[in-house]
Amino acid sequence: MRIYISCDMEGTAGVCSWNQCDPENRDEYPVYRRYMTQEVRAAVDGAREGGATEFLVNDSHWSMRNLLWEELPGDVRVVSGAPKPHSMAERIDDGVDAVFLTGYHAKGGDLDGVLAHTFSDETVYRVAINGTECSEALIVAALAGAHRVPVLLVTGDSTIVNETLRALPWVTGVAVKDAIGFNATNSLTPSAAQAAIRAGARDAVANVARAEPFVFAPPVEVLLETARVENCDYIELMPGFERVTGRTVRFRAPDYATAYRAYVAAVRLGGAANVRA
Amino acid sequence: MKLYVSSDMEGVAGVSAWQQVDARTPHPEYAIFRRTYTQEVRAAIEGARDAGAGDVVVNDSHGPMRNLLLDELPSDIRVIFGNRKPYTMVQDADRGFDGAFFVGYHGGAGDADAVLCHTYTPSVVYEARINGVPCSEATINAGLLGYYGVPLLLVTGDRTTVEGVQAQMPWVRGAVVKESIGSFAADSISPPAAQRLIREAAREAISHAKDAKPYLFKAPIALEMGLVTAAQADLVATIPGFERTGGRGVRFVNDDYAVAFKAFVAAWRMGALAL
Repeated sequence: MRIYISCDMEGTAGVCSWNQCDPENRDEYPVYRRYMTQEVRAAVDGAREGGATEFLVNDSHWSMRNLLWEELPGDVRVVSGAPKPHSMAERIDDGVDAVFLTGYHAKGGDLDGVLAHTFSDETVYRVAINGTECSEALIVAALAGAHRVPVLLVTGDSTIVNETLRALPWVTGVAVKDAIGFNATNSLTPSAAQAAIRAGARDAVANVARAEPFVFAPPVEVLLETARVENCDYIELMPGFERVTGRTVRFRAPDYATAYRAYVAAVRLGGAANVRA
Repeated sequence: MKLYVSSDMEGVAGVSAWQQVDARTPHPEYAIFRRTYTQEVRAAIEGARDAGAGDVVVNDSHGPMRNLLLDELPSDIRVIFGNRKPYTMVQDADRGFDGAFFVGYHGGAGDADAVLCHTYTPSVVYEARINGVPCSEATINAGLLGYYGVPLLLVTGDRTTVEGVQAQMPWVRGAVVKESIGSFAADSISPPAAQRLIREAAREAISHAKDAKPYLFKAPIALEMGLVTAAQADLVATIPGFERTGGRGVRFVNDDYAVAFKAFVAAWRMGALAL
């Protein structure tokens, strides 16, 4: 069994500030970068105990080159660097059997979500696909689902874990912390979190038979509400995007992969408008 | 006669360096050439009116697109001001104009002997072609005007720019205000002489408007772009409808020129994110 791991950082044990996740930060980031890597390693180790044999890890946070290679098993592959057209789900179509989402966080606007955002807190206010308001976890899960691949594991704060389990009830969730608002948390220690993730990953792989692909039925409609009017001014330039209101655009596609790529492009181009004209 | 004026700054008499047209820093020389620029736009309007033009809309199309000294223009015109217009240098070209002027225009990216030559974004666009035709800003913009049935009547700028436009649109009148010596030097006539020349050419352009034609690209519109770097092409290729044609090449095809024009704007804005 080949496992794909999309690993983010905000949902790592102990994380409660952007400073801990900002690659430019010289004090806290090096510490939490190691914890992030160790949580990925715990997921790999647990999955192997459950019977998984191959691993493709997609570093999905910020610069997307956070993982410390020397602290990962020698036989994993790592997708590293940015930008990638499929961003947090790059290479999810590369013949994998199941997906793990580690270090994930709540969606923009969630109550009690540590560093809650959806791809970009400066650009994305809310995104709904076929009427369902989406977290990054759901958006990535649906791309896996479009390739008939199920998500087995999600780790992060209890807000994103519970939210993901409501939409994908077959998923094994490991809540490493509870959010106390946006910038505070009541967390397990890193070592306890890693032990929980290892056990969760083992269970998740053992329970693969009950997992299902999560699918948005085509045609797919993305309704993107942006932080500012200027974001939509730029997004609307792209073919296929329709302006709905000052801060809302709509994109319709015959298949989810096309819609996903358009959404990623929209977040990028919309973000270009965040500098003053 | 309702006239549309798209005004840029690099093709203004005396301009030979980015500092002179840099509204963002801005360099002390910008204040000088901003006035020369405004005076050339005014000369074009006055010449057009000598020949009977009535309503005039000027689209400030340079940099942040708020350069014109409004007090120094005729008081009865309208001005399109500000950046981030979806149709940028030809915004509102669909509002029933009878003809258009390009004032202060410059050569396309890669042109020899064209002061400050570029195509929208020097650091992103290496080359652009539509239906195989190499495009300067003038070409692309004239294509949108043509799509709305508006013929280009006049272009002013350096010789390379004016002759480049006339090679594609032989009916266009030109006012050559300088000869470029490479990218950063020019042999220029004086601003007052340039303004007299522009006024005269504008009058002639309006007088002969009936000889002009809308410049049209036939559908399907195939936009091909070479980006400066492969990293920029990585991003541009993520725009819906774009296909990658090479390390630095992308292609976009659509039946509607206005859609292709906006896609082009999206492309260089997206590409700029990889700077």
